[in-house]
Amino acid sequence: MDIISQLQEQVNTIAAITFNAFGTLQRDAPPVQLSPNYPEPPATITTATDDASAFPEQPKQLSVGLVKAAKQFDALVSALPLSEGGEEAQLKRIAELQVENDFIGQELQKQLEAAEKELKQVQELFGQAADNCLNMKNPE
Amino acid sequence: MATASYPPPPPYYRLYKDYSENPNSAPQPPPPIEGTYVCFGGNYTTEDVLPSLEEQGVPQLYPKDSNVDYKKELRSLNRELQLHILELADVLVERPSQYAKRIGEISSIFKNLHHLLNSLRPHQARATLIHIMELQIQQRKQAVEDIKRRREEAQRLLKDAFVTLDGQ
Repeated sequence: MDIISQLQEQVNTIAAITFNAFGTLQRDAPPVQLSPNYPEPPATITTATDDASAFPEQPKQLSVGLVKAAKQFDALVSALPLSEGGEEAQLKRIAELQVENDFIGQELQKQLEAAEKELKQVQELFGQAADNCLNMKNPE
Repeated sequence: MATASYPPPPPYYRLYKDYSENPNSAPQPPPPIEGTYVCFGGNYTTEDVLPSLEEQGVPQLYPKDSNVDYKKELRSLNRELQLHILELADVLVERPSQYAKRIGEISSIFKNLHHLLNSLRPHQARATLIHIMELQIQQRKQAVEDIKRRREEAQRLLKDAFVTLDGQ
């Protein structure tokens, strides 16, 4: 894939990681105690085992993913082959290449015509020689 | 209730009855359309121009210059994006009701990023054209060399044959 498409994919990946991160955190976060007056709800056994162990890891993993994606984006930006000079330099180069292309196209055409002419001559001569060979009486 | 599944072909086919004998007796195809046209009820334009950010109502976060340094701006937009994501995380913890503004800023940064990348495409197209033309010039030079070589070889073979025949 070309580098600009890769960059675009990387931007979309960063966006996806971001909203997945916030969505997951919001969905899986344990409830917060609003005031010391309200008693803590009795923690059920099933939620305590998997959530409490895995939950603090989630923001770490998600932030690691996000930073990696951002670094990848920076690496792709450095790999951009942007030539200095901008649009005018490119257009000038295209005009030069067009002139050179036309010139060499004409030369190719000339060579081709000369070669075809020679081919026709040789074919004609060969035909004549073959006819003479066929019609030739034995030399006495 | 039977309904026609497909519309009939346009009736112009009758004009091309004698096309095989005389190609000029039938009308020419219509010239290419320029400007805007309507197709199946939708308006389309033949000029493909990337609309600027202001037209889409998005604030432009990188300097509006004719020669923008793409790499620098892309990197700085990336930094800003990371900062805003951190701010969003902060806001969600401290003042959760104010998330909307932060989300708006983050989405505007994304739009700026994509707009910058899209404006790189014409540059890429020109660079591709330059590359193709260089390849074509190289191939043509190669073909010229080949033809020259073959002609010389053919001349040599003919001379050799002539000498051989003469020598007999």
